[in-house]
Amino acid sequence: MSTKTNTLERSNEKQLTSIWTRAYTANSEWPDKDEFLDVIYWARQAIGIILGICWGLIPLKGFIGLFLFVIVNAGIIYFYFTNFQNIDEEEYGGVWELCKEGFMTSFAGFLVTWIIIYSGLHYGSENNIL
Amino acid sequence: MWADTLLIVFISVCTAFLGEGLTWLMVYRTEKYQKLKAEVERQSKRLEKRKEAHGDSLDKQHKKKIEREEERLKNNNRDLSFVKMKSMFAIGFAFTALLSMFNSIFDGRVVARLPFQPLTWIQGLSHRNLPGEDYYECSFIFLYILCTMSIRQNIQKLLGFAPSRAASKQGNGLFGPTPGQFK
Repeated sequence: MSTKTNTLERSNEKQLTSIWTRAYTANSEWPDKDEFLDVIYWARQAIGIILGICWGLIPLKGFIGLFLFVIVNAGIIYFYFTNFQNIDEEEYGGVWELCKEGFMTSFAGFLVTWIIIYSGLHYGSENNIL
Repeated sequence: MWADTLLIVFISVCTAFLGEGLTWLMVYRTEKYQKLKAEVERQSKRLEKRKEAHGDSLDKQHKKKIEREEERLKNNNRDLSFVKMKSMFAIGFAFTALLSMFNSIFDGRVVARLPFQPLTWIQGLSHRNLPGEDYYECSFIFLYILCTMSIRQNIQKLLGFAPSRAASKQGNGLFGPTPGQFK
């Protein structure tokens, strides 16, 4: 019984690490579509937060910041699945479906970090006066 | 401004966990929900595969089969929504009370400075209960909604409570696809 569970655990572990390694390895195989979509989803969230921090530190202002976020975010993901992983977009319902995956959540995360870093670094003293 | 903004992030993390915890207590852990969810996922995947295989064919038998499965999936989705609804109402009431409490705490307070001027139809939200006409000033409710949008969904996904892609694609709840759309 215990050997069975151990083997199961080991195989789960193997699967878990393999998702990570496959995400970083070019031209990986993705038999389960959901796994690849999860990689895209979480990559998007990370990109959103990183861009939010960068835009806040620079600091970027106005709609150019929002526009640049959309371009950079979609660009990185597009490059990742077309040039790095070389997947067939049609299997996932087309480029649009992949570009949409987790976009709104990532956008919200980006806005939160951008606003927090921007107002915290550049408007901290004004609040004290208020 | 760090204190206010980080406090709002903390509040939304707490409310997201509270909401998910309450839903788990009232819905997710029940046998009925688990059975229905598994059934909906299984049916959605099967339907997706069948549509992929026979989507373009004009075979009447296949169409009828797909329609019948869609009807079954729709019924299960409706049952799933009803199971969820009771807790959704309870959580909705609790959260409205919490939100009005936080609203009164942060009433008239500028919690952050926006790096962009929001569109006119969002200004009502981003400048809610704030004096003056400087639309770069951000109200509590705007930042809270943004935080909730990103944090709640990620927490749901991390905890495995988010609906599966196949189920969402086939339409979820009462607003699912109408049966017979392949006619």
